[in-house]
Amino acid sequence: MPNIKLGKAQVSQDEPAHTPGINQGNATGNYEKMSGHHADGTSSATRSTGVNPKAHEPIDPSMPNLSPA
Amino acid sequence: MAVRERVQPEAGKLVDMAWDPITRIVGNLGIYTKIDFDNREVVSCKSTSSLFRGYSVFMKGKDPRDAHFITSRICGICGDNHAVCSCYAQQMAYGVKPPPLGEWIVNLGEAAEYIFDHIIFQDNLVFVDFCEQMVKETNPKVWAKAQSADAPHAELHGYRTVADIMRSYNPFTGETYKEALLMSRIGREMICLMEGRHVHPSTVYPGGVGTIPTPTLFTDYLSRLLRCLDFIKKAVAMNDDVFDFFYEALPGYEEVGRRRVLLGCWGAFNNPDHVDYDYRNMDSWGNEMFVTPGVVVDGELVTTNLVDINLGIRIMLGSSYYEDWVNEETFVSRDPLGNPVDRRHPWNQTTIPKPQKRDLEGGNYSWVMSPRWYDKRTGDNLALDTGGGALARLWATALAGKVDTPFVKATGHSVQINLPKTPNTPEQTLEWNVPQWSNAIERDRARIYFVAYAAGMALHFVDKALNEVRAGRTKVFEDFDVPEEAIGCGFHEAVRGVLSHHLVIREGKIANYHPYPPTPWNGSPTDSYGTPGPYEDAVMGQPIFEENDQDSFRGIDIMRAVRSFDPCLPCGVHMYLGQGKTLRTVHQPMFGEHS
Repeated sequence: MPNIKLGKAQVSQDEPAHTPGINQGNATGNYEKMSGHHADGTSSATRSTGVNPKAHEPIDPSMPNLSPA
Repeated sequence: MAVRERVQPEAGKLVDMAWDPITRIVGNLGIYTKIDFDNREVVSCKSTSSLFRGYSVFMKGKDPRDAHFITSRICGICGDNHAVCSCYAQQMAYGVKPPPLGEWIVNLGEAAEYIFDHIIFQDNLVFVDFCEQMVKETNPKVWAKAQSADAPHAELHGYRTVADIMRSYNPFTGETYKEALLMSRIGREMICLMEGRHVHPSTVYPGGVGTIPTPTLFTDYLSRLLRCLDFIKKAVAMNDDVFDFFYEALPGYEEVGRRRVLLGCWGAFNNPDHVDYDYRNMDSWGNEMFVTPGVVVDGELVTTNLVDINLGIRIMLGSSYYEDWVNEETFVSRDPLGNPVDRRHPWNQTTIPKPQKRDLEGGNYSWVMSPRWYDKRTGDNLALDTGGGALARLWATALAGKVDTPFVKATGHSVQINLPKTPNTPEQTLEWNVPQWSNAIERDRARIYFVAYAAGMALHFVDKALNEVRAGRTKVFEDFDVPEEAIGCGFHEAVRGVLSHHLVIREGKIANYHPYPPTPWNGSPTDSYGTPGPYEDAVMGQPIFEENDQDSFRGIDIMRAVRSFDPCLPCGVHMYLGQGKTLRTVHQPMFGEHS
């Protein structure tokens, strides 16, 4: 360590940005849990907002099921 | 390579001249020179930085997923380059490859960054040194010539004489100056579309992006790009006219800022069809990048292999305020291919700051360390520079001859850029040829050509991204888990040159992290072998063309040489409060530990 005078640390340097036990956004398996995101990388209208996703499907099955993205 | 010689000032002959800090750049760069006014030559030059930051010190122990958000703050202009480079390093460590659309979106954001940053630096900062007001003040004879010199590309840009172009560069009042400000705004809007925010992206993560890839996203980007293209086509012609005029009006001007051709480029724009972020395949996917990585020594392309580039990096001390780390821990003794990793490699570096008094006469004088590249052919530790970024990128890409897209093609000796018809200008083909010298003018000229290069690439990336969207492949993020132990490295090009991030993860936390941006390479002080850093090397021995005498000397030629490297010191060193100053905590935005 450097031989210089340092102030008192206010938090420990490895204060976690992530608290153990809380879900991690990056964790494997999350993609599969999201509505409207398919395994082949495509997506459909249910992707919309995540709020009541099923209501976002086309009202007529003959209509194209377009992803908002 | 030139070795620094101690200069013995002789009474009345050598004059100490110092610029500290240098203006129109970011950070605390000081240039200390000894000038021989009788012979109109700079005899000695030292480049110093008085700023310590300590990213490599305080990154230790943090969650590696925070690295790109934290390191982005290294720079207030190219922070997104750091974020992207950090994501590359993290992706290698986590073993995750983003979906193609995510990669195209990152490439589009980075292309816009090159366009924005190069334009603002070139037209709003560099050209102040070449504008009417400055040239009138420093070289009145040159100004007189410029007024009668016809601009060869007048039909492209509309300025009849070179003096008219120089007038348009006048700060705050010149047309080009004002238009460039508008263009840099549009460039930033383009970055925001792709990366959520500029300068510190909010939608770039390891594993992909959080940008929602709607068709409108790409058409919004494209409409802005087309507006920039009108400006870029004009700007290239104006740059060529002004720089060619300087060579003509001031014979010998090629010596300003000239140094041996020692250029490094770490490659930019990954190709999602090839990149897998596996270190073992880095040579192969590195060569598929849309800016080819490479080291150019004396005009020869030594390597395009990122593994060779990585293993050759050495961080030297010699004139820097740090203690050596030879007795500290070795984090990585062999790379994933089994190659030995040097003690002086960033993976094994431990930063131990040792503040001290500046000693320009044989002692330590800078907070910047001295990164060098080990040339295994000769055993030399080369002080590579980046040529302000653009020069090295174009040079390595041109010689490698690997890039071949509808808009940009490397030929082995040049780079051809085809820009389509845009609202106010017809189709245009530009060709950047490998220049004779690595000097101030060629660094500046390469910058505007690289803006055209980035714009051409952006057109290609928009096509590729829209193909993905039309095919319905809208996935932009890949899940991953953070490993307990891993290493990673990211290679990218910050706007002003080479950028690498080296990461070691232990117990799921950062054990070692070293970002190496371009300015430590360019602004490094003399190393332990006595090799001067590129600024020092480029300025030392350069002739002086300024017409002013010693009393009203502006140092314009020295400033042109140093600014041609696009210096940006905040990334150059890794808080110093001075004696007796107390910091008061007003608010501390941290979870936990409220002691």
